[in-house]
Formats: sequence, structure tokens, C-alpha cells
Amino acid sequence: MSKSSRAKTEQMRAEREEAARKQQSRRRLVAILGGLVILVLIGAIAWVAVDAAKSNDDSPGNGSGELVIPNNLNGDGAIPVGDDSAPVEVEIYFDYICPACGAFELANGAELDRLLEDGSIHLALRPIAFLDKFSSGTEYSTRAANAMATVIDGAPEAVWDFHGAMYVDQPAEGSEGRTDEEIAEIALEAGVPQEVVDRFEDQTFVPWVVKVTDEAFESIDGTPTVRLDGEDFEGDVYTPGPLTEAIEAKL
Amino acid sequence: MSQSLDEAALTATEPWAEGGRLNRLRHSNTTIWVTMLVASLASLYASFVLSIDAIRLAEDPNADLGCNINAVISCGTVGASWQSSLLGFPNAFLGLVAEPVVITIAVASLGGVKFPRWFMIAAQAVYTIGVLFAYWLFQQAMFEIGALCPWCLLVTVATTLVFFEMSHVNIRDGNLPLPGRLKGVAQAAVRSNLDLVLVIVWLLLIALTVVAKYGTALFA
Repeated sequence: MSKSSRAKTEQMRAEREEAARKQQSRRRLVAILGGLVILVLIGAIAWVAVDAAKSNDDSPGNGSGELVIPNNLNGDGAIPVGDDSAPVEVEIYFDYICPACGAFELANGAELDRLLEDGSIHLALRPIAFLDKFSSGTEYSTRAANAMATVIDGAPEAVWDFHGAMYVDQPAEGSEGRTDEEIAEIALEAGVPQEVVDRFEDQTFVPWVVKVTDEAFESIDGTPTVRLDGEDFEGDVYTPGPLTEAIEAKL
Repeated sequence: MSQSLDEAALTATEPWAEGGRLNRLRHSNTTIWVTMLVASLASLYASFVLSIDAIRLAEDPNADLGCNINAVISCGTVGASWQSSLLGFPNAFLGLVAEPVVITIAVASLGGVKFPRWFMIAAQAVYTIGVLFAYWLFQQAMFEIGALCPWCLLVTVATTLVFFEMSHVNIRDGNLPLPGRLKGVAQAAVRSNLDLVLVIVWLLLIALTVVAKYGTALFA
């Protein structure tokens, strides 16, 4: 091996070692700084998680509180509307965010109004809340059903108007539903006294809503479910007419 | 002169086989392809579950899905949104089509197959579109739909890992048609494991966002 080629090899090795050293110190720097950032992030996640769990303990329990049954329910635990001596009972299961229930209301609300007024029917309303997952985490179904329970408890005469008003411009599935303030406004306009409206936020009847929702699914598959004198109405509930005809056939 | 010597030094020692055992392991073919294989299998499984859920939701919009745990953790809410069938069919079908390709690439590479450069560029390009789509969906679910779906999150994380390893291998092997300087910077970053740190930080940031926004519901 010539002298110059040996020098060249030497130089190459030196440069190689130098490059490797540089590379190694760069790796170490990345590992240390990266490790620090990662530790800080893990700490932040833990801190936020603990904080969230703690704030949960402070908030009033949803549905786990004491069961309070609203006053003025009928003997079957439903919300009665109209004169219960009227010949036909119309029982309706519904959820306030369920679009099909909104369509039912739109098609049949006016007819039910008329039949109530002429004394042909009385209603048994069964608000349930199984579609909370469709209100972006605001649990609109439960809040709305609790409001309805509060109205029958404190202002039974306003129940039917409140119910109808809740389906006017019904919020879509997947939206945030109505705010508590919006529900309160609707109730006031429907003639619910302020002191009853003020009780919505206590969520007194949430455990009752949870209970009747569970019980409902022992006998229904979805909403709306409509029963005439206890028998499932199988006809078209989304166009005006068929339900009225079935009711009138019973008179 | 020194330029060519530098290059000689670089090629003389295999640059990806330097440093300690952990470092060599991280840049080894086995680690890269096994990670990609596991992530794409997870993603395929999640896509499968989501596809079945999509069909069940089509049959019955109120179907009770296994992962409808509460108001926030709910595949039903996400699955019922327009975003989850952006192209007119459930997005999860795309996973059923795309992930087996990734699985094939990973398995073949583990078996020693060397794919041509144009193939790897194409794979990287298509998967980049996939990862962008996955993050658009994640953003929509987080901030527009307002619900979390565990299987979608698994897809997000798995897609990130596949993208990460695919980029890793393509930068390592110099497959990407980048300008010379950028290529050098990318290779230096990968050699010093900056990419690994970045992907961990990224996933932790996502976890932090989820906990910050939905913590109260998650720990209910």
C-alpha cells in the first residue's frame, strides 16, 4: 500500500468517525428534548383527565338520583290529556328529538286536537329519552322529557300545548337540540307558569325518565308507537287520515 | 474531493445500522414492516366493524351498536352523519379495500420482496390521501358531530402509524422524489429519530385534545 493511499484511508476513517460522532450527539439531543416534551404531554393528559374526573363528582348525578314520580299521572303512569271518560284512549310513545315523532305530530297533531275537543279521545302520553346520543352530548331527549314531566307535575293544564310546541321547528338529530333557555321559553309561551319553568333545571324527574324509558322498551321497538285502547296501531302514522279513521271506527 | 469522501464514508458504514441496539432495531426492516402490518391489520379490523355497523344503521337508524356507550362515545352518532359516507357509501368500505394492499406490501417486504421505486412512490401518494381523509374525519367527529367513535379513533391512530412507517422506509431508502437538500434534511431527521419523537408527540397531542374536550364524559 502506497503512502498516499494509506493517508487517504486514514482520512476517510477519521471523517467517518467524526460523522458518526456528530450523528450520535444529534440522536442524543433529539432523545433528550423529545423525551422531555413527551413527559410534559403525558403529565398534561393525566392532569386534564384527573381534573375531568373530579368535576364529574361535583356535578349533580344524571339519572342516578332519587326517583321522584311526577304528580297527576294516570293510573298506568302515563301523562293524561283530555277527559278520561272520552271513549277512545290514544297512547303515544315519543322522544323529543326523534324525527319520526315530529312527522307523526305534524300529520296528526291537528286531528288529535279536534278529537280531544269534541270529547272522542283522551291521551296517554309517554315521553321517553333513548336518543340522547343524537344531540351532540347535550342530552336533549332527557332534558326535554324532564321538562315535560315537570309540566305535568306542576301545570297539567299546559301539557298538551307544551308538547305540541316542542315539535314546532323540531331540532334535527345530530344537532345540539334546544338549550335549557329555549325549552323554558317554549314552556312559558305554552302557558306554563314561571315557577314551574324554574324547576326544569333541577332535573328532578330525570331518574323517572330513565326508568320509564327502560320500561317502555319491554313493549315497544321504537318511536313513535301509537296504541288505541291498548292495541298497537299498525297503520300509516305519517299522513293525516288513517289514524283518525281508525279512531272514528272505534266510536 | 471531500464531497466524494463524505459520500464514501456514508456508504461505507451502513448509515441505518449505526448506534446502539435499540436504534438499529428501530430502523430495521423487520420493525418497520411488522409495525405497518400490525397497524394495517388493526385498521382493517376496525373498518370491518364499522362497515357492519353502517349496514346495521342503514337497516335501523336506531340500532343499538356495541360501542354506543354514552352520549359522547357513540359509533351510532358518527355513523349516522353525512360525513361518514362522504362518497355516497360508508367510508369504512375504503378501509376494506385499501388496508389489504398495505398488508400485502408489509408481508411481501417481510419476505424480502423489494418493490420498485415507482411503486413505493405511488403507495406513499395514495396513503397520504388516505391519512388526510382520516384526519378530516377525525376533525369532523371531534368538532362538528360532537361524538367519539372508538373504532374511528383506532383507524386514525393505525393510519397514522402506517403513514409514519411508510414515510420512514421511503425516506430511508431515498424513494421520494424530493429535491436534493430536502432529501438530505429528511434523512438526517429520520436518522436522528426526530420522526419517531414527532409521531409520539402528535399522538399524545391527539389524546390530550380528546381528554380536554370529552374528559367529563369519558370518566363519567
